[in-house]
Amino acid sequence: MSNAMKFLVVDDFSTMRRIVKGLLNELGYSDITEADDGTTALPLLKNGAFDFLITDWNMPGMPGLDLLKAVRGDAKLAKLPVLMLTAEAKREQIIEAAQAGVSGYVIKPFTAATLKEKIDKILASKAAA
Amino acid sequence: MSQADSLHGRFRTHVSELADALDANDEAAFRGAFERLREQLNVELNPELRRLAAEAQSAMRRFRERARLEVLADQEVPDARKRLAHVVKLTEEAAHRTLDLVEQSSPLVDRTSLGAAQLVEEWGLHGSRQLAVSTMWPERVIETLERTLKDSEHLKRHLSQMLLAQGYQDLSGQIISSVITLVIELESVLGQLVALANGEDTRRMPVLKLDSTQPMPEALMATGPQVPGISRGIVVEDQADIDALLASVAAGK
Repeated sequence: MSNAMKFLVVDDFSTMRRIVKGLLNELGYSDITEADDGTTALPLLKNGAFDFLITDWNMPGMPGLDLLKAVRGDAKLAKLPVLMLTAEAKREQIIEAAQAGVSGYVIKPFTAATLKEKIDKILASKAAA
Repeated sequence: MSQADSLHGRFRTHVSELADALDANDEAAFRGAFERLREQLNVELNPELRRLAAEAQSAMRRFRERARLEVLADQEVPDARKRLAHVVKLTEEAAHRTLDLVEQSSPLVDRTSLGAAQLVEEWGLHGSRQLAVSTMWPERVIETLERTLKDSEHLKRHLSQMLLAQGYQDLSGQIISSVITLVIELESVLGQLVALANGEDTRRMPVLKLDSTQPMPEALMATGPQVPGISRGIVVEDQADIDALLASVAAGK
């Protein structure tokens, strides 16, 4: 994987999308698309050949957990790395996300270093698989 | 209407007794007749009063159940207070963090600007005498450039931290959204309370409920950022603990 990777950032707050996009830019990733919930993200994923999905959990319409399940349930998208970036921190929620096949889980507020570390770790394990 | 139910049938005897006692100037008999008339009136009035009281009580009970008054008063309104207090804290911290970074960045920009200005000035003074190629000039340029590089790195780090500090808007926005939902419900409840006080039927009035749109178990419902003082079950916020939890679930699959 290279910095030419395509990212999809899904969050209902435009400020958070800008923040994540800015941090990804700093990490050298420039091909970034935004969506404001699962309902708008899913068609983009199905048609867009994305390499990485970063999604919030708590969104109107389709929440991040449902988006994750839809991704894992789609044969073409099933292997897509999915990082959950959310304020939801209940143990049951993290376990549910893990069981649904999330690749990484980061609690807001987060640091740039944590985001980088998780992306690198997910990409490394994908490359090793 | 039967003879006994008519106004005449119900009150004729009492009125006659009152009239007789009045004509006889018999105060005791008059008071006795008056008391019997009052009792008759009470007998007729009480069932109606009881019916009205029962209806009001029943409407109030229905209203309390539907409007979740106890939950709203005991838990959700106090929680909303804590949530808003947390928003104030979040926004204050983010503003201070941003201002600190701006204050720390300003001298770096000043120093870079000053260094460049000094080089330009020296070039203007001595450039014509070809001091630029003297031993001193390249050393001065390199020093300035190295300092500029270091300051630029600091500036970039500060800008990145300012970017992250704006994440408060997402967190506070989620908290405020939940309070807005509560305010909408309270507005509906107050409207029904007014209707109830006016004797209107509240049975068909809708009561909005929090988080009613998510068809998932309560433990998995999105509840937004953690707020100090509001317990929502077991929370895992340390990144290492989250990673360990993910790994243990993955290992168990």
